[in-house]
Amino acid sequence: MAEAVIKLTVPGELAYRDVVIRTTAAACRLVRAGATQSSTLAPLDLSDDFDAELVSAVSEIFNNIVIHGQDETGTRGAGSVIEFELRLSDLELEVVITDTGPAFDIDSVPSPELESLPEGGMGIHIARSCVDALDYTPGPPNRWRLTKRAARVAHRPSTQA
Amino acid sequence: MPVEFSRSTTEEKATLAIAGSLDAITAPEIRVVVDELVNEKQKKIVVDLAGLDLIDSSGVAVLVALYKRIRALGGSVIVVGARDQPLAIFRLLRMDRVFSI
Repeated sequence: MAEAVIKLTVPGELAYRDVVIRTTAAACRLVRAGATQSSTLAPLDLSDDFDAELVSAVSEIFNNIVIHGQDETGTRGAGSVIEFELRLSDLELEVVITDTGPAFDIDSVPSPELESLPEGGMGIHIARSCVDALDYTPGPPNRWRLTKRAARVAHRPSTQA
Repeated sequence: MPVEFSRSTTEEKATLAIAGSLDAITAPEIRVVVDELVNEKQKKIVVDLAGLDLIDSSGVAVLVALYKRIRALGGSVIVVGARDQPLAIFRLLRMDRVFSI
């Protein structure tokens, strides 16, 4: 299985959010175009929402790290960085995110009560819902692994959108 | 990616068009506009998201705040034009029906 790896390191500040999102979106397009496959294979037929969902998930985790990773003074330590490793393969796109902020118990994050129209607490729910697997290993450093599978199948039914 | 917005008001409705990215960085800008709309006691608000490329949970929170506050005043908020990633997020959070998308 061919695999390509993209590595990106950004300061732990919201200003770098756009760089992270654009890189993730570009990686999705590469997988869609079959960049990691042998030339004898057709490009992958990803679901319509593949790119939007992975971008959403990575975006929420990035926000979570930056916003909730701040110390009591509202800033992060000088030189704080977030590392991204995007692994593109024939089968999936895996994003491993490593940060040095405070660890937390991801299992203690409740699912939002969507019927009551919450104004917060949706980030982890969005991230979980948008990928096939979200693994978090508390650190330091903390390690997030988001896996989005690229099944070589037809589009998903719109009822699952 | 920045956010751009424009407002227009007629006798029957106020329209807020939001374009670009409504996210953790840009949401505070829109929150100011939400405060204005609420203070003006607008009764019918149309949020036009045809130009919106990205939204995150912070952006959704601002729109939910607008919806709740205007509803509390007896008014209504509908969202039009949502597409691509923002539409996927609204569907995921089951807000497409709330916003009459």
